Amino acid sequence: MWPRTPSKDDLDAEIRGHLALSIKERIERGEDPASARLAALKEFGNVTLTRESMRGVWRYRWLDGAEALGRDMRFALRSLLRARGLAATVVVTLALGIGANAAIFSVVRGVLLRPLVNRDEDHLIYIGQRAPGLGAENLTFSIAELNDFKARITTITAFGDFSTVDFALSGLGGEPRMVKAGVVGGSFFDVMGLRPVLGRLLNPNDDGPNAAGAAVLTYRFWTTALNSDPNVVGTTIRLGPRTATVVGVLEPSVPYPADTEIIANVVTSPHHLGATMVTDRTHRMTELFGRLAPGVSLEAARAELTAVHTAMVREHPEAYSKRANVQLRVTTLRDQIASPARTILLVLLAAAAVVFVIACSNIANLILARSVRREGELAVRAALGAGRGALRRTLLAESLVLCGAGAVLGVMLAQPFVAIVARYAARFSVRALEVTVDTSVLWVGAGLAMGAAVLLAYVPRLPSPHAPTGLGLVSGSVRITPGTSRRLRVFATTQIACSFVLLAGAGTLLTTLIALQTAITGYNMRQVLAVDIPASATGADLGSAKLIDFYQEATRRIGKLAGVEGVAVGMSVPWRDAGRLPAVQFAVEGYTPADGEENPHARFRVVSPRFFAVVGVPVLAGRDFTDDDGGKSDPVAIVSQSVAQRLFPNGDAVNRHMWWTDPYFGKTPVHRRIVGVVADVDDEKVIRRPAMAVYQPVRQIGAAERLFVRAAGDPYALVPAVTRAIREISKDQLVERAATLEDVRTEVLSPDRLNAFVFSGFAGIALLIAVVGVAGVLAFSVSARTREFGIRLAVGSAPRHLLSRVLQEGVLIAAIGIAAGTAGGYALSRAAARFFATVQLPGLLPLTGAATVLIGAAVVASLMPAARASRVDVLQALRSE
Amino acid sequence: MAKRPDDRRLELLQGTLDMLILRTLQWGPQHGHGIGQAIRAQSDDLLRVETGSLYPALHRLEKREWLKAEWGVSEANQRAKYYRLTATGRAQLSRERDRWSQLVDAIGRIMNPAPASKE
Repeated sequence: MWPRTPSKDDLDAEIRGHLALSIKERIERGEDPASARLAALKEFGNVTLTRESMRGVWRYRWLDGAEALGRDMRFALRSLLRARGLAATVVVTLALGIGANAAIFSVVRGVLLRPLVNRDEDHLIYIGQRAPGLGAENLTFSIAELNDFKARITTITAFGDFSTVDFALSGLGGEPRMVKAGVVGGSFFDVMGLRPVLGRLLNPNDDGPNAAGAAVLTYRFWTTALNSDPNVVGTTIRLGPRTATVVGVLEPSVPYPADTEIIANVVTSPHHLGATMVTDRTHRMTELFGRLAPGVSLEAARAELTAVHTAMVREHPEAYSKRANVQLRVTTLRDQIASPARTILLVLLAAAAVVFVIACSNIANLILARSVRREGELAVRAALGAGRGALRRTLLAESLVLCGAGAVLGVMLAQPFVAIVARYAARFSVRALEVTVDTSVLWVGAGLAMGAAVLLAYVPRLPSPHAPTGLGLVSGSVRITPGTSRRLRVFATTQIACSFVLLAGAGTLLTTLIALQTAITGYNMRQVLAVDIPASATGADLGSAKLIDFYQEATRRIGKLAGVEGVAVGMSVPWRDAGRLPAVQFAVEGYTPADGEENPHARFRVVSPRFFAVVGVPVLAGRDFTDDDGGKSDPVAIVSQSVAQRLFPNGDAVNRHMWWTDPYFGKTPVHRRIVGVVADVDDEKVIRRPAMAVYQPVRQIGAAERLFVRAAGDPYALVPAVTRAIREISKDQLVERAATLEDVRTEVLSPDRLNAFVFSGFAGIALLIAVVGVAGVLAFSVSARTREFGIRLAVGSAPRHLLSRVLQEGVLIAAIGIAAGTAGGYALSRAAARFFATVQLPGLLPLTGAATVLIGAAVVASLMPAARASRVDVLQALRSE
Repeated sequence: MAKRPDDRRLELLQGTLDMLILRTLQWGPQHGHGIGQAIRAQSDDLLRVETGSLYPALHRLEKREWLKAEWGVSEANQRAKYYRLTATGRAQLSRERDRWSQLVDAIGRIMNPAPASKE
């Protein structure tokens, strides 16, 4: 226990006690009390002054340490200014490590941990249906299923439903365009616990087929597209064929399940009022939200929902096939929103932590090397009476100055880092859009810096008070002890090992990306322009004669434009429209599925004549569609090579019949004659797999909505002419998202590219730091062994020999690091596999690539020190000590 | 006891007061007045410690935890602070004693060089 600081009374009492004793002594010697008292006071001297100097002893007790540290800091600053190169390296290295960590941590906090703005958000749950048998992660719900839940569930006070549709929006200024919109029931906003910033939101009065069309604008749309126009409420807008009144603006909130511009009531979407939507149990397009009843736990609600769902599956076996294996999933809304980003963010956090470890071990290296050079100075100071504490404090002051500077720079770097990482994470979770740099960055930065500073202060060994320091004192030059050299090598090896893990990870992502980017797709990538021409704006119904005529006229006019080699309509832009159209069950004449086997599935596609020629897919057998394959002629189809090979192994597909067996096509499906076989292409996945597809002529179906133009020259030069040609036929027709197939693929791959980019960034930083680290260790080891090299040269060693010795040393550090990295990385992936479903070990190529890069980097890093070793001047070296 | 002439008194050497206090307290706990008197008596009245130096020194030693203080009642029937040597204080005393004898030895050699040195 520390002695207590005495109070003023204590001090006075002590002085009074002294005087009393002094007086008593004098009286005992025979003086009279009055003069004894006077003499005692006189002998004591200035009472106040004494009391104050007693107090002074205690006064700066707490400040003492701080003051000394401040003095040390000033000293550290001065001595670091003399070692600018080292200081700059340390500060920048640390800033990168701290900046990356602080940024990733802000995003993790913003996306995974922060509560939503919704009222009582912990009561808000998301209900999902997945069908692992069909590979469907989120099947959503049909209205029939929703009604079952509403009728039977008691643990949830209310359900909210949301489905996403595309509307052609006009009436809010500008050209008509396709917007993503939510269609919701009247309970949705109340369940979500959201408020309007303007007007009102939708309520149960907006439900049903007889309500007036009403729409709510999302905050982002209102502020960005409409400049926060306060008079927008009451505006009438057109949503395709229907109209709606803008009733209000939603408060800023996480746009989930979809980032829409408007949210409208059911009456605005004819589809939502149709019989299929209302009665078909398998027509699933609704996302389901619920608000837990007071006092009900998530587990209780999950148990009840699961029980009801199980009963539902039992009662309607036709809607839930055994193969689909439909399961219910219940989570809080916050977890649901965060879940896609969780893995990637945690991986990024780990990568940032690895970078920090590398940065710290590099700095430890530099500091250690510096402190060895300073051994002489430290020995002098120890000899002059500086205690271990004081020496440690000197080192602490220095590392505090360095790490403090690094933290300040790191927090400044965090700002742009957060922007990059947030944009990146927004692809996985919409919440990342709202992430900004918050004060937590400061705390993370400060915490990391403090941790690093203390760690670094304890890296160097102090001159022992017991061991003689005479040598360091006398020579004042570098003495490298085996212990120091071992520590330096351990740090360098750690850096290499960590860099290797990051490089291998980045390499894996890069090889995947390159494989995707260069995969042969079977399409003509460069010359084909794909354009969206959605039908809903014109009011022409899908399948109508009007629409068929429109396609006919559009292709005729565009085909005549200069520079157009061919034009066709289709139904799906490769990759961009992936997932829009599900695979459908069908049957063919002459093929009976084996017992227990279901009918095969194929992609349902509608194309016009010349489509295959335009996109560059060869017709392998039979013929292409012609303009004569119309509504009045024989129903026909073209199948992909996979269908032909699998169902007609004898190669006699042409002229056989196929028909769709899905109930969506009615009870008595049309039998179509197969007139041709085309090569396989995969419009869902960039890496082509054998795809079963059945094509039908647009003139027999009347739904296409995508235009494909093959250009002789620059495809984008045709866009204005194509748009004009279409608008001449139908002035309201939307013409959107024109892009070559090459660019469509690039756009689709951008998340993969971003993944690779971010990881390569981390790996690059790590590599850079590791190179600096290895070079530093070797440079240090060379300069410490100048004498040894001098002797070697003197006894006849060739300079070349010394050069290769130092190079070998560098390569050895790298090799041990790589081995450690491989072992560590393998252990890490095993540990990660326990938490994440898919942990992919890197292939041989990324591993050898990373190893080669690191060995190369080690050689480069060793070159300069090695050259210096081989150029050591013998006389100088021998005299140097 | 007759008063000795003032010029017989010696100035305390810089840095020796702490050692004298520690040494005095080796015999047992004592208050400030007693310590001052003991130093004076043991030095045959040659050394007198000013209270203005003694008390701040006592507090400094207490703060360094070489001494521990307790309140007690003095011979004058007054509250007085008694100082006691701690274990670290004892160790410090032995260090200072060593240094002191080295110093005396070194100064002694300079002032009275031995007739035949080693070299």
